[in-house]
Amino acid sequence: MIEQLLFYTFAILTCGGAVAVVATQNVVRMAFWLVVSLGSVAALFFLLHADFLGAAQLLIYVGGTVVLLVFGVMLTASGPYTTIKTSPAEGIIGGAVGLMLLMVLVSSIGSVDWGAISGRLPASPESPFTADSIREAHAEESLVNAGSTKAKTDLAAVQQQGRTVRQLGLSFLGLRPDRNLKEGGANGLAPGYFLPFEIVSVHLLVVLIGAAYLARAKRRAVSEDRVSLD
Amino acid sequence: MGEVGLNAYLMVGAVLFVCGVVCMATKRNGIGVLMGVELVLNGANVNFVAFSRYTSLGLDGQTVALFVIVLAAAEAAVALAIALNFYNNHLTIDVDRGNELQG
Amino acid sequence: MPETGDILMFLLTVAWLLPLAGFVVEIYWLCFSHRLNKGAAYCAVACIGIGFLCSLSALLYWGNDTHWAALSEPDHHGHAASHDTGHGDAAHGAGGHDHDAHAGDADQHSHDQASEHADAPAKKYYSGTYYELARFGGLRVSLDWYIDSLTLVMFTMVTFIATCIHIFAIGYMHDELTEEYEDHEVHLHNGGHFSRPGRFHRFFAYLSLFSFSMLGIVLSGNIFQVFIFWELVGLSSYLLIGFYIERKSASTAANKAFIMNRVGDFGFLIGMMILWTSFGTFQFGDRTEGAHTEAGLFTMVRGHDGKLDVSEDGKQVYLQDAHGHRAEKNGQPLTISYMLLVAAGLGVFAGSIGKSAQFPLQTWLPDAMEGPTPVSALVHSATMVAAGVYLAARFYPVFTPEVLLGIAYIGCITLFIAATIALVVTDIKRVLAYSTISQLGYMMLAIGVAGWGAALFHLVTHAFFKSLMFLCSGSVIAGCHHVQDMSRMGGLRHKMKITAYTMLVGVIAIAGLAIPGTSIGLSGFYSKDAIVASALAYSELNPGHILLFIAPLVTAGITSFYMFRLWFLTFAGTPRDAHVYENCHENPSVMTTPLLVLAVLAAGCAWGGEGGPLYRLIVDSETVPAAARVASVGAAKVILPSHQGHESDVHHVHSTAGMLALVSAIIGMTLAYLLYVKKTIDPNQIRQQFSGVYDFLVDKWRFDSLYDAMFVAPVHIISAWCVSFDKGVLDPILHSAANLTVLTSKWDRAFDETFVDGLVNLVGTVTYNVGNSLKVIQTGRLRQYVMWIAVGVIVLFGALFTTIPK
Repeated sequence: MIEQLLFYTFAILTCGGAVAVVATQNVVRMAFWLVVSLGSVAALFFLLHADFLGAAQLLIYVGGTVVLLVFGVMLTASGPYTTIKTSPAEGIIGGAVGLMLLMVLVSSIGSVDWGAISGRLPASPESPFTADSIREAHAEESLVNAGSTKAKTDLAAVQQQGRTVRQLGLSFLGLRPDRNLKEGGANGLAPGYFLPFEIVSVHLLVVLIGAAYLARAKRRAVSEDRVSLD
Repeated sequence: MGEVGLNAYLMVGAVLFVCGVVCMATKRNGIGVLMGVELVLNGANVNFVAFSRYTSLGLDGQTVALFVIVLAAAEAAVALAIALNFYNNHLTIDVDRGNELQG
Repeated sequence: MPETGDILMFLLTVAWLLPLAGFVVEIYWLCFSHRLNKGAAYCAVACIGIGFLCSLSALLYWGNDTHWAALSEPDHHGHAASHDTGHGDAAHGAGGHDHDAHAGDADQHSHDQASEHADAPAKKYYSGTYYELARFGGLRVSLDWYIDSLTLVMFTMVTFIATCIHIFAIGYMHDELTEEYEDHEVHLHNGGHFSRPGRFHRFFAYLSLFSFSMLGIVLSGNIFQVFIFWELVGLSSYLLIGFYIERKSASTAANKAFIMNRVGDFGFLIGMMILWTSFGTFQFGDRTEGAHTEAGLFTMVRGHDGKLDVSEDGKQVYLQDAHGHRAEKNGQPLTISYMLLVAAGLGVFAGSIGKSAQFPLQTWLPDAMEGPTPVSALVHSATMVAAGVYLAARFYPVFTPEVLLGIAYIGCITLFIAATIALVVTDIKRVLAYSTISQLGYMMLAIGVAGWGAALFHLVTHAFFKSLMFLCSGSVIAGCHHVQDMSRMGGLRHKMKITAYTMLVGVIAIAGLAIPGTSIGLSGFYSKDAIVASALAYSELNPGHILLFIAPLVTAGITSFYMFRLWFLTFAGTPRDAHVYENCHENPSVMTTPLLVLAVLAAGCAWGGEGGPLYRLIVDSETVPAAARVASVGAAKVILPSHQGHESDVHHVHSTAGMLALVSAIIGMTLAYLLYVKKTIDPNQIRQQFSGVYDFLVDKWRFDSLYDAMFVAPVHIISAWCVSFDKGVLDPILHSAANLTVLTSKWDRAFDETFVDGLVNLVGTVTYNVGNSLKVIQTGRLRQYVMWIAVGVIVLFGALFTTIPK
């Protein structure tokens, strides 16, 4: 019951924040509503038992990205340009298109029978390796709940409780404690995310350098002509 | 009111997505467009995590969502750099001024 | 210690190839030096001079190696006796170097000689192969060498004369050493003269090419190789005659020479084909490969005893193998049809007719005098034209008596015709040219009457005195600034002493004068004596062919007459053209020195006559059938005289023949003296009295007109027909085809321009317009794009939902 209450609260906050971002004309206020909306999304993540993701959402989005955006606003929006008005006609057209898109999405969501494919994560009692790895991963719990059957039920419990940090970490190292090895492909080894993780790391580095390069200070000889024209 | 289901989360995601698209389509401010992008990404993220919870997707959904967050941050950094460049060149952040693509 | 044959081969090959190297250097002379440089001439002289030294050392080496057996052979020895000497002392005689060169089959030879026939020949030649060009089964085409005393003498003679003439040419061609040579013979339309850069180096390049080719003929070891160099000398002759190519007369003469020679070469080719088909080899000499000896052409025809092995019905000739037996193949004796052998001989002789300017192909040689005088001296008197005689002599064993009879008559006709024409010619070079033809006729006649040695003897002596006379005439021409007409000369001996008296030596030599009763004379006396003697012996044995003796005898007188006429007109008497006389001068020593050297040789090269060294050397390589008396077996009932030893037919009549020839020559000389010096008889009166004969002679027996009527006019008529056919039939067809094509093309063009181009343009225009109108959509505004994406998604999904059934 409390879960429903919390969900609706944060769902309304999320949607409301998003709509407010669209509706507001002032950039700084838009940023504020964005914080609200993204923060609520983080709360929804917690509700979905994705505790690490929720924390990351808060840290990176609310703490990082939005701050970055606000910095951008401060660096670019000087004086009269803080607010750039959209013409009402455009707003109406945008709103209409948005509504139609929403209707399309909603109707497609509604038209799919999610019950057929939804379901909880299946337990994988057959695989001793999985059990062992889970046991090692949760050594302290293994102390309390000795016995393999106990460990199997642990897996579901761990996910139910939303304690996914270790599992995510392992999967980034190429291990998949939540998967039966025999399920995943002919090799019997479920794929982890080691390679994507590395790619993303390098990608971040590239982006860092690229951003620094793009944003470096330049002479503004060309721009001054534009000023005189304006 | 029954248990919160997959549909409810998907609806939230859809609203976020649509808000993001409308934000991109209407905002003349470049930063506003960026915010629209963030909203779209978040809508997608909500869907991923919801599927992760309610289907056999499992940890995969969360992992992808995490990648999306990381890439969104990177994208924000680059986009901000671009916005700064744009501002340097046009002395405004109004994307309607940047119609060089018209050729 | 290398074998004698290898040493001789090496020396002669060097002498042969040096002019080729010289040719390559000289033809590219302008690449590394300039036009005014005399280096090309020095290069050519060096090449041919070293070649002469090589040839001479080869001759001396050969002589030392054989202890000069050829010379020491006493005149009175019969052939069999001389052979016994060679056989008995292996290191001494002909058999001796046979032993050295062909150790493998020497024993076999000795055996054959001892057992089979006392007259079996000793092998007196060295032969071998440079390079095998091709092999078709048992048939081989290769580059061979064949060296005997004749080869050595010819090499020495050719290189020596060529050296003299090269040196002479340095002086004679001096006016080509200029950037701007004005050719006074070529008149341009504007009345001026044609001028061009000098071609000094090119002249010497051609001379070197000629020397190379000529020596190649002499050294060749097979008939095919002879043919190659035969054509090469033809080419260099063509280039040299046409040296002043801008003169119409020169280019025509070059063409004439070349085409006339082709006629003869056609026969040569036929002869070669017959030989190739019937004998399967081109080789002259036997060829030893290990233990096996393959017979050459000569051995196959003549065997070892020098007799044709004719079947009883007289229609087949059995071929011989290398050991003197009948050659067999698969148990069947190899034969050649007798008539085919005659045809082969006539074919090869046809080549000689062309090259040696014999009747009926003699007309090219006088025209060939358009070339520079050194060319006339070297190519068209001393060497190339003698190559025909040389070939006929080399091929003597293959000739049947019928062929020899034909050769004799051809030579007889030629010598008489040419001599009579020479009586009336006034161009100094043309007199010599007709004289050359006449002398070549003598040589051919000698071959025909079995005077093999006499023919080649005359060849060598003639080469010396005729090249001397040509060089003298060149000297006169150069001294008189290119005046060649004798009627404008006269009295020149006061101004050109060396030229005049060296010329006199040549004239006496060719006239065959001697001190009566002593048999001491200049070279021509001995050689002509030998020929006349052979002819007399022949006509005594064959009374039906008395003409073969009378004609040369009469012609000896005519020769003497016209040669002295030439000398008297040119050098004696009083000047007829003061202008020419005033301006003429003696030439520098570079031109007179060769004259003096040649004069000495022309006078003394035949020293000793038929007992002297030159004749002995030549006769050493005489083939057996030429030596002994041979009775013909074929259709022509002739008997060839023997002419070795004191008991021979020729020796028998020698003194009679010599006396008659001398009397004839003296009569000729006296007549000339009376006509042109004493003027006791006026030549003009005779001319008027015999005006018909005179005109006939001036027209060169109307041979040119005859050939014009026989060959040129028909060709012209046929050409006219062809032209009218071309113009009347072929051209309209072609033109209508062309017009049709043009018309079709026009239609095609119209179709292309309207339809095809229109289609393409339409596509282009449509695309352009569509692009232009679509350009409007591309606003470049980001937000609009986003909007369109959203709209697109909506439309797409709407379409999906409405079309996909639930």
